[in-house]
Amino acid sequence: MRIPILKLKEYLLVSVQIELDDQTALQFQEDILNKIHEEGSRGVVIDLTSVDFIDSFIAKVLGDVVDMSNLMGAKVVLTGIQPAVAITLVDMGILMHGVPTALDLEQGLEKLQLELEG
Amino acid sequence: MSQTCVEVRSEWSIVAARQAGRAVAKEIGFGSVDQARITTAISELARNIYLYAKVGEICIEKVVDANKVGVKVSASDDGPGIKDLRRVMEDGYTTSGGLGAGLPGVKRLMDEFFIDSKEGEGTKIHAVKWLR
Amino acid sequence: MKPSVTKLIETKREIIIEDWLNKVEEVRREHHLENISDHVYTNTNKEFVEIILSAVGHGQELCDEQLSQFTERLIQVGWPLSYLTRGLQTFRKVILDTLFEDGIDGKRNFEIYYEVEDWVDQIVNTLVNEYSGSWENTIFLQKMALKELSAPLIPVFEHISVMPLIGTIDTERAKLIMENLLNGVIEHRSQVVLIDITGVPVVDTMVANHIIQASEAVRLVGADCILVGIRPEIAQTIVNLGIDLSQFPTKSTLKKGIASALEMTKKTIVKLEN
Repeated sequence: MRIPILKLKEYLLVSVQIELDDQTALQFQEDILNKIHEEGSRGVVIDLTSVDFIDSFIAKVLGDVVDMSNLMGAKVVLTGIQPAVAITLVDMGILMHGVPTALDLEQGLEKLQLELEG
Repeated sequence: MSQTCVEVRSEWSIVAARQAGRAVAKEIGFGSVDQARITTAISELARNIYLYAKVGEICIEKVVDANKVGVKVSASDDGPGIKDLRRVMEDGYTTSGGLGAGLPGVKRLMDEFFIDSKEGEGTKIHAVKWLR
Repeated sequence: MKPSVTKLIETKREIIIEDWLNKVEEVRREHHLENISDHVYTNTNKEFVEIILSAVGHGQELCDEQLSQFTERLIQVGWPLSYLTRGLQTFRKVILDTLFEDGIDGKRNFEIYYEVEDWVDQIVNTLVNEYSGSWENTIFLQKMALKELSAPLIPVFEHISVMPLIGTIDTERAKLIMENLLNGVIEHRSQVVLIDITGVPVVDTMVANHIIQASEAVRLVGADCILVGIRPEIAQTIVNLGIDLSQFPTKSTLKKGIASALEMTKKTIVKLEN
């Protein structure tokens, strides 16, 4: 299963709508890096509104995606992390420092714009 | 008390185990936050089996004590076992290149946590979350 | 109770009541019950005596029922339990004194003594049960009330919300605060949340930890937290305990916090010229 990646001008938009298993997560990591390379994107918004849990493995993959994209010159913002997911992550001690977040897609795009301009 | 068990053999069974766990947690009446906690804990336990023991089993059951109900998650395998129990419970200790949040994370997500492991014989873990 | 003892008490009834009412007057002064009017006081005492003595005639069960109704009323008015138990102790002394006055033989005196002792103990048990039941009930109600007053998230400007925390924060409350906070952030689409701890009396490592966790979770759902209302003594304890709050912004007052929240959301307050 693959997660669709949409292009919007110089940004990439991803909305994760399926339950992430390990393979899908790793495949996604590869796909997004290739896409950034192909399109020369400057920013990525990954929307997690429909994701109802994130364990340490998926958190690691997401954190890695952010670091790798930064290396390739694209800023990543994670959006729509649900309260239950956030509480679980904090309980586990996974704080994802250095990963920008926003409430939803709209605010995520605004944040990207600000970061890229500023 | 009915018990749901999932045999862990592949990465897909990690998904199966946590879906089974979420269903049980929902049925017992846990809120969305606790459902996420239980699902995440199961995911961590199942992944540990897959990563280190290759084969094992996750069982989920409803438990009733005096005046409370809860869900009990048991993970068992006949894998290599854990050499240094104290270290695996430390935050940030990892042998797989992960975040090192797995077992200590499970302990924090659940209300009760027991681990029994002998090197070369396998690992048994069970954890309980009570409905508050 | 043995018929012989019952009969003995019945015959001495008037003397016992009078004696006891006199003695219990001293107890009244100790318990600062002078502000209860003499009329109410005398009536209540008489009723108490009647109920207790009726146990002699009619058996324990009927007495229990009357007694629990009686105590329920006293609890509502706020008579202290110790007044009643002290009263009963005095009562026992009076009864025994009165009964022994007749100079009956030693063996029978022991019998009477045990009978009376047993009887008073049962009444004390009923009283204590009633009172502690009412205390538990009060504690339960207060707990519920506390839960209701726990931590609302108040939107003050577009994208800016305030959560005032008042009172002691325990683990259970911390969980509730966290859930209210995160759900509120999403509901109001807040970008900045000010957590105001002006009303939190003590910030120890546990409380600080709860607050840190809450602000980490807020960051994950996509908003920023500012901790405001840090009084000098709180700042001192936080540093003395070695709690690291350098990770997230703090301000001494809500006013300053709102100023920086406006800045963060690129807003400014302008005075209108007219």
